[in-house]
Amino acid sequence: MALPIPFGAARGRRRKGPRAGEGWWALLFLAPTLVGLALLSAGPILASFGISLTSWDLLRPPQFVGIDNFVNLANDPRFLVSLRNTAIYTLLSAPIGLVLALALALALNQPLRGIALIRTAYFLPVVTSATAVGLVWAWIYSPASGLLNQAIGVVGLPPQKWITDPFWAMPSIVAMSVWQGLGINVIVFLAGLQAIPQEYYDAASVDGAGRWPKLRNVTLPLLTPSIFFTGILSLIGSFQVFDQVYILARPGKPTEATITLVYFIYESGFKFFRMGEAAAASWILFLIVAVLTVVYFRSQNRWVHYQ
Amino acid sequence: MFASSRTAPPVPRALATLVAIVALVAAACGNASTTNPPASTAATAAPTTAASAPESSGGESPASSTAAYTGPPVTIRYSIWGDPQEITNQKAIADAFHVANPSITVDVDVSDWDAYWDKLQTGLAGGAAPDVFAMDGPLFPDYQARDVLLNLKTYIDRDGYDLTHLADQGVKDFTTSDGGQYGLPRDLNTIALFYNKAKFDEAGIPYPDDSWDWTKLVDTAKQLTKSDGGKTSQWGFYTETTDMENYWSELVWQNGGDIMAPDNKTTVLDTDQAAGGIQFLQDLIWKDKVMPDPAVSAETGDAFEQGQAAMAANGSWNVATFDAAGFDYGVAPLPSGPAGRFTSVNPTGAVVFKGSKAPDAAWEFVKYLASPAAQQQLMTLKASIPVNKEVLAGPFSSSWDGAKVFADSLSYAKLKPSFKGYDEFTTTLQNELDTNVFNAANKTAKDALASVVPQLNALLAQQ
Repeated sequence: MALPIPFGAARGRRRKGPRAGEGWWALLFLAPTLVGLALLSAGPILASFGISLTSWDLLRPPQFVGIDNFVNLANDPRFLVSLRNTAIYTLLSAPIGLVLALALALALNQPLRGIALIRTAYFLPVVTSATAVGLVWAWIYSPASGLLNQAIGVVGLPPQKWITDPFWAMPSIVAMSVWQGLGINVIVFLAGLQAIPQEYYDAASVDGAGRWPKLRNVTLPLLTPSIFFTGILSLIGSFQVFDQVYILARPGKPTEATITLVYFIYESGFKFFRMGEAAAASWILFLIVAVLTVVYFRSQNRWVHYQ
Repeated sequence: MFASSRTAPPVPRALATLVAIVALVAAACGNASTTNPPASTAATAAPTTAASAPESSGGESPASSTAAYTGPPVTIRYSIWGDPQEITNQKAIADAFHVANPSITVDVDVSDWDAYWDKLQTGLAGGAAPDVFAMDGPLFPDYQARDVLLNLKTYIDRDGYDLTHLADQGVKDFTTSDGGQYGLPRDLNTIALFYNKAKFDEAGIPYPDDSWDWTKLVDTAKQLTKSDGGKTSQWGFYTETTDMENYWSELVWQNGGDIMAPDNKTTVLDTDQAAGGIQFLQDLIWKDKVMPDPAVSAETGDAFEQGQAAMAANGSWNVATFDAAGFDYGVAPLPSGPAGRFTSVNPTGAVVFKGSKAPDAAWEFVKYLASPAAQQQLMTLKASIPVNKEVLAGPFSSSWDGAKVFADSLSYAKLKPSFKGYDEFTTTLQNELDTNVFNAANKTAKDALASVVPQLNALLAQQ
């Protein structure tokens, strides 16, 4: 197999920086997004900080209360429980989701007939509404005649109550979320896998490397940018979990075993007329995610390899 | 850098930048879809033709208007919660109102219970709330106290509208201590004992009547519970556990307890009487095993409606649904407890948004909803218990077999608690009861109440 001459790479290397005036063009193309971000995100974000310092029921004018909301939250057992549940959810769903997606991507990165169809199938849950997914999974978890209880019954295990069992409730929600979010990570990993030059594998083969050493020493290191990317998205997404909890919780509302931070925010603001407290909780969520994101970014020099 | 034999562009540091941007945006904006409540119940049901003509002969009573609407043609928006059956009912009534008042058109929009309150709050905050909307008795104080409802007192005085034509229990929930009247009741809901006649006939057991007490209920429910190799094929009893209304608040009252202190500033659930009432319900599920586990019911639905339970303590709003289920059933008063016979009454009202652009038309419609014409229509549709005394005492009681039981039950009905902070109170309370008392018997009712009452009182103190 002849190596092609790396024209593209050579041309690319000769270029030092953007040409004069290119910056303005870049800004112009970015403008729609930037304006949208400024108006629709930055504004509300700043406003929410102001709201977090008030007592506001949404219907009457807010009153300034300083950091009272933050102090109250620190002493609110329901908030602390939601924080704990969110942490458990993130610790379970993010790593499991990543490992499963990676394994699937490796399995799907094969030149088989009909592979496109299989890849599409794994992506379908991502584009399905959380409500539809939740309703189907509620049926899977049904304690009376659910699919899962029937399945474990086949191997002689007793039926479980899944969603209403305080022990199983969170793992059940995690399982559904992981299944639903798998496709997006698989796609990123597949793209990453296909960007790894064949030459590395060829060179490894020449050195006598088998499948496992190739995976360990070629694939994984070169996939670290993709792992880094899906990792940060999973982390942020996990902290914001809401739909799954909202839809799956039954009978009635999420209980102490399943209320998450975003559910707490929704409930405080839109059920209990405590918009100030909801805004304060949102800022605590933001700060947690921001700190974790910074720490995560700092770590990348140690383990992420860009080609 | 190598070029690949496949189509691999070099992956530069730009990817890292992209990651950073995406991460930032994701962290900042969140997922927009996460704040959306589930889609509301589709409002596709067509109005029933049979009921769309108002009973114009009995129409205008002393209780309804003397001065009809004389303003310009206007369209008002009327929001309600409900299932498809209720949508049909309320649309039929709105159509009949339009026939009687051609210059006022009413757009009815419907949401399921949860989405209804979310939409209402954001609508009120944004000044775009419906002109007239349905109000649940217990939640009324939370809205009235926040100054978003129109005080109808001036209209009542102007028209000489007579509130005594409406059931007191309905009016009271929308009255404030300073004499304001911020809504009129639209219908009443009480709880009674439904029974499946075929299952009683089959077992040769006489139907429930007003002589029944708790012991009789448990004994009969046991006789009517059938097990089939460890699996229950028929339940003696069914009720719901996620709301006090059907049916633990009644059990608390029947046992001599109460839920709130008279001033609504503290809860009195930490008494032996209150605990005894809730314990009775836990025992029905976990000790006597005559009703299905609520966690299972949440998935399978209403066992009585499905013909799998012989009896059910449930609300008057279920009548049309049970009719549609296609089996023969009867209605009896709730069995009495150690402290006597009690049921719960909960009015649904119609209130007017303070910022409505058409308050006069809105008032006419609110008045119409409580008028004999609309109430009689409600009765024909078997939608609920009429709040208009004329209809309640007259045609309603004889309108169908069970109606008299519901009408009579108002004489021993206690008003469902209604106070500011109600939603937060019940959420905290039900979290404890569902998790530890009803869905699993982790705690006795007494222990569960002892652990949650201090939290509840702390919540009430903040209101």
